[in-house]
Amino acid sequence: MNFDLDQEHRDLAAAAAEFLATAEAPQAARAALDGDAAIRPGRAELVKSGFAAITIPESAGGGGGSVLHLAVVAEQAGRVLAGPSLTGFARAAVLLDGDPDRLAGLADGSLAVAVADDTGPVLDAIGADTFLALRSGALTCGPGQVTAREPIDATRALGDVTLGDNPPLVRDAAALWQRAERVGRTILAAEGLGTAARLLEIGVEYAKERQAFGRPIGSYQAIKHMLVDVYVAVEQLRSLVWWAAWAADHSPAELPLAAAAAKAAAATTLEQAAETVIQVHGGIGFTWEHDAHLYWRRAKVDRFLLGDDIAAFDEVARLAMEQAS
Amino acid sequence: MDFDDTPDEAAWRTEVRSFLDHNQDRLSVRTNDRARQALLYDAGFVGVTWPIEAGGRGGTPMQQAIVDQEMSRLGLPGLINLIGIGMCGPTVILHGSDDQKQRYLQRLLRADDLWCQLFSEPSAGSDLAALRTRAVRENGAWRITGQKVWTTLAHLADYGILLARTDPDVPKHRGLTMFVVDMKAPGVTVRPLRQMNGDAHFNEVFFDDVVIPDAERLGEPGDGWTVALTTLMNERLSLGGGGTTIGPKPETVARHLAGHIGALPADRQALARQELGRGYVAALGARYTGYRQLSKLSRGEFPGPEASAGKLSGTRSARDLTDLAVRVLGGDARVAVSRDGTGTWQTMQAVMPGMAIAGGSDQVLRNIIGERVLGLPAEPRADKGVPR
Repeated sequence: MNFDLDQEHRDLAAAAAEFLATAEAPQAARAALDGDAAIRPGRAELVKSGFAAITIPESAGGGGGSVLHLAVVAEQAGRVLAGPSLTGFARAAVLLDGDPDRLAGLADGSLAVAVADDTGPVLDAIGADTFLALRSGALTCGPGQVTAREPIDATRALGDVTLGDNPPLVRDAAALWQRAERVGRTILAAEGLGTAARLLEIGVEYAKERQAFGRPIGSYQAIKHMLVDVYVAVEQLRSLVWWAAWAADHSPAELPLAAAAAKAAAATTLEQAAETVIQVHGGIGFTWEHDAHLYWRRAKVDRFLLGDDIAAFDEVARLAMEQAS
Repeated sequence: MDFDDTPDEAAWRTEVRSFLDHNQDRLSVRTNDRARQALLYDAGFVGVTWPIEAGGRGGTPMQQAIVDQEMSRLGLPGLINLIGIGMCGPTVILHGSDDQKQRYLQRLLRADDLWCQLFSEPSAGSDLAALRTRAVRENGAWRITGQKVWTTLAHLADYGILLARTDPDVPKHRGLTMFVVDMKAPGVTVRPLRQMNGDAHFNEVFFDDVVIPDAERLGEPGDGWTVALTTLMNERLSLGGGGTTIGPKPETVARHLAGHIGALPADRQALARQELGRGYVAALGARYTGYRQLSKLSRGEFPGPEASAGKLSGTRSARDLTDLAVRVLGGDARVAVSRDGTGTWQTMQAVMPGMAIAGGSDQVLRNIIGERVLGLPAEPRADKGVPR
């Protein structure tokens, strides 16, 4: 057993970080929230970089990489609140696996795909032209009409989608859909990991600088211990994300539990990190001017994407009891 | 990244499994702890990572982890001399003389001698360096007076490692020295302490003019704090490191819940699943974080303070899962023994508070991680630089 990233993963993460530095986060997230800017790096740039197509086979013009490869990139994307989410690309790559033409379209950007889960607002619907959905057990694919909704987190580009009578692409697609959803949960959790890890850095940095009663506030246990609890949660989340990604690549039997655990831990950890960092900052952390709320917005929205944390914990419990009995 | 055994690891697992399967009956007898450990040692499965000259096998941390996993899979009881193997032995290996190594190490691994760790005192727990037990040099030996407390296994132990103050005129961390003490020596009195769960695994130990030869010193006089840090660093690994579980295995709680959940009303079932889900995710997080540490260790990296995170999260999930397991007993949760004659979970519940204290309280571990991993400024220390 060797449970750690290999050098190739570290190199990939470094390359992704370099590319994403151009995203100018969190300024871009703020501008998008203010309504006068597109989200960054944006779909076109993300496709051009090749990172979005990592899990698409080389035969279809993708990177032919693993879910773990995409997960280490997603962590970097999460750190800078990048959009659109790599979750959609990951899910679409699984769902379109038997359709080389559409897969090639996903890889070269001629198709802007989003995945519609239910009747609620859809992740990255704004800017998408092709929608995958599960209807009566079949996978459908086609256009839809998008109505943008007032955002909490503008980088998630959520909009209501009215689907036309799109033809079924795959009948009996329930299992395929479920696998795609689990891969998607893994990548969403990886983005959450990056956001939470970045939040922790922001909180620790401030706790070292800010003085109260003649000492840095980070020397007080009340502040220190809150930040340590975030650190512990982030490191556990990292382990669960890597495990889920590895399972997606190598161990299908472990994926359901691993993906549900990663999704649940990402939701709770990111929320804990965001609210802790606001608390550590005091009044300034509650202002529009401070960046903390941009990350907090991610936490408040992501927990309700691809099922909420309550559903994920429930799934973990059901699987655990099933496997133990 | 790869979770599967390498061919070497797989071969080792087969060897371990075949031995354990073959000797399962003898290894399950809880009445003869020393004999169980000796049987395992003679087969080469105790102290796997210890150097060969120390009586070990010179193996890898992964090989040791595989032994632990296979023992846990069969539900075999743990080793009696865990504190010796995890903490005392490594301290002797690093700081002991050749003569000490020769006399002590192999016997420790075979459980011919049992060992304990004499650190905490009534007025020095989390603030260990404030300890008061005195060691005074006298005719080429040391005379020890003082008291230790919370000493696990002292009532059975043959030897202990003892941290004592040899110089009261320097700041507290600098006046300490580590010794090996013979627990059967004149002047050593051990009084068992009953824990809140009813067991008596830990003790008070009194030293009344106990004489320790200078040859039993571990490290130089005044270097005791540095030596103790070695011990504590190893402790971090044996508690919640390497993917081992603190408290009940989450799988065991899941099986227990599966057997009881049907009797609950629907709203309680949903609630119980939420609690199981939360505890289970935390336990998996701690387990897989332990695997990451194990992988680091396998590459020859020493466990850093970040290893304490595993104890923090493992303790939390163990407490939550145990609480759930008790809760679903229904009316039986109000009494110590259920109608079916078992009291496993009621007993476990009374063990849990100790988990968050033993081996570094949750609060001290948070200080360590905050200061050593996150680089936050240290707590104010009113006694810093003050002689004892």
